[in-house]
Amino acid sequence: MGFELVAPRSPEEAFRLLEEGAGAASVLAGGTDLLFDLDRVTTAPRRVVSLRHLPWRGHAWQGDTLVVGSTEPLYELERDGSVAARLPGLHTAIRAVGSRALRHRATLGGNLARAAPASDLLPILLALDATVEIAGPAGTRRMELDRFLLASRTTALRPPELIRSVTVPAAPSVYLWQRVRPANDISQVGVAIAHPGPAVYRIAVGGIVPRPRRLPGAEAGLLSDPPPGPERVRAAEEAAREAPFPSDRRATEEHRRRVVRALVERGLVHLAGGAA
Amino acid sequence: MSGPDGSALVVNGRAHPIDGVPSHERLLDTLRGRLDLKGTKEGCRTGNCGACTVLVDGRSALSCLVLTHEVGDEPVTTIEGIAADPNGRRVQQAFLEEGALQCGYCTPGFVVALTGLLSESPGATAEELLTDLQGNLCRCTGYAAIVRAVRTLRAEGP
Ligand SMILES: Cc1cc2nc3c(=O)[nH]c(=O)nc-3n(C[C@@H](O)[C@@H](O)[C@H](O)COP(=O)(O)OP(=O)(O)OC[C@H]3O[C@@H](n4cnc5c(N)ncnc54)[C@H](O)[C@@H]3O)c2cc1C
Ligand code: FES
Ligand code: FES
Repeated sequence: MGFELVAPRSPEEAFRLLEEGAGAASVLAGGTDLLFDLDRVTTAPRRVVSLRHLPWRGHAWQGDTLVVGSTEPLYELERDGSVAARLPGLHTAIRAVGSRALRHRATLGGNLARAAPASDLLPILLALDATVEIAGPAGTRRMELDRFLLASRTTALRPPELIRSVTVPAAPSVYLWQRVRPANDISQVGVAIAHPGPAVYRIAVGGIVPRPRRLPGAEAGLLSDPPPGPERVRAAEEAAREAPFPSDRRATEEHRRRVVRALVERGLVHLAGGAA
Repeated sequence: MSGPDGSALVVNGRAHPIDGVPSHERLLDTLRGRLDLKGTKEGCRTGNCGACTVLVDGRSALSCLVLTHEVGDEPVTTIEGIAADPNGRRVQQAFLEEGALQCGYCTPGFVVALTGLLSESPGATAEELLTDLQGNLCRCTGYAAIVRAVRTLRAEGP
């Protein structure tokens, strides 16, 4: 199961190496998903292109917007107090990913490219209206995350394109998840709510098929600020009804619906100043 | 010391040539199989147990999920080298005093992970340290003594 491992120093070189590898080349960032696949021979690349020397690491605020390089390890965001303060929902979601040792290497770009239905980062990034910057041989293009995610493990990336950065506008936000073990386990469901302005709530949920998504029906019923009890309950019920939940080895559909209902309500209470 | 193409892996302060190491080999297998450093354990090989934890440039990493050639020139510290780090010695002493092991299989991972946490976050409370140790599992479920060892470390201060 050998492959050639290359670590280009520029995006142009990376595109060339990926194009040459046509179909049999894989991209490697932190490796926490890819190495799992390699062991299971779901992927048998002849060439693996490592992004570790690309100049894309790092993150910075541009006004009220956080721009994160795709190869930035999650831990770098976790330890930055400004992320916890200005994007609390994103900070909680990052802390939910695997263990500290995993987050030292796992990247934001890798999580997006993987587009796993159970990702903890996709719901909060959807709620926060994140955009993805995609780089390719012909230049870069930007896309709303909602359009970037097509289905489970399927994105709008066209090889040899790579995710270059992710842009996240700051907003009061919360992320709540449910799983069996707190660390190194996968969430059964995750609920993300952003509250970017008066009476505006954006709700997204993960742990559903074919991919995490916004819940416009639940959002539409939230008209007051803060929403009173009955409005919160209606939104939570709508969320539990709206999303297409699977039954799988992690949880049944019914369990997921119940938990989402509880988490949406709890998240709204939290954003109104109560305890999460 | 480095190989013909200049690639070397620095482990516990010693450089080892790795140009003969295949591209797909994981750090865990290089450490155990080639360098005979058997203290680093293989539990799950999927990133789920923490038994294979080493430090890469001072930060905990799951060596089962890292390709050896991806380490580059960042220094690796395994359990065999942890006593060279004052925090490592303190963690070892705390585990010893509390008898924080049963079969011992998870112990290197716990000791290395905790050493990394103490260096990265010197001000962390016992509760914070325990939260960030959640990725390390003890199959013997000997957690009570491990928790005591962490509390002992904090009681004596950073
Ligand atoms: C034990 C364990 C627990 C986990 N727990 C969680 C969890 O709780 N929540 C959660 O959300 N995730 C979890 N994950 C998955 C999480 O680690 C990954 O999704 C991680 O964020 C992927 O980043 P990476 O850098 O490791 O990606 P890699 O494994 O390097 O790459 C993943 C995929 O993305 C592609 N890719 C990577 N970077 C780019 C880029 N810049 N442009 C284009 N394509 C790219 C690769 O080709 C590959 O297909 C867990 C994984 C493990 C092993
Ligand atoms: S062997 Fe690496 S985490 Fe279990
Ligand atoms: S002491 Fe046996 S696995 Fe922890």
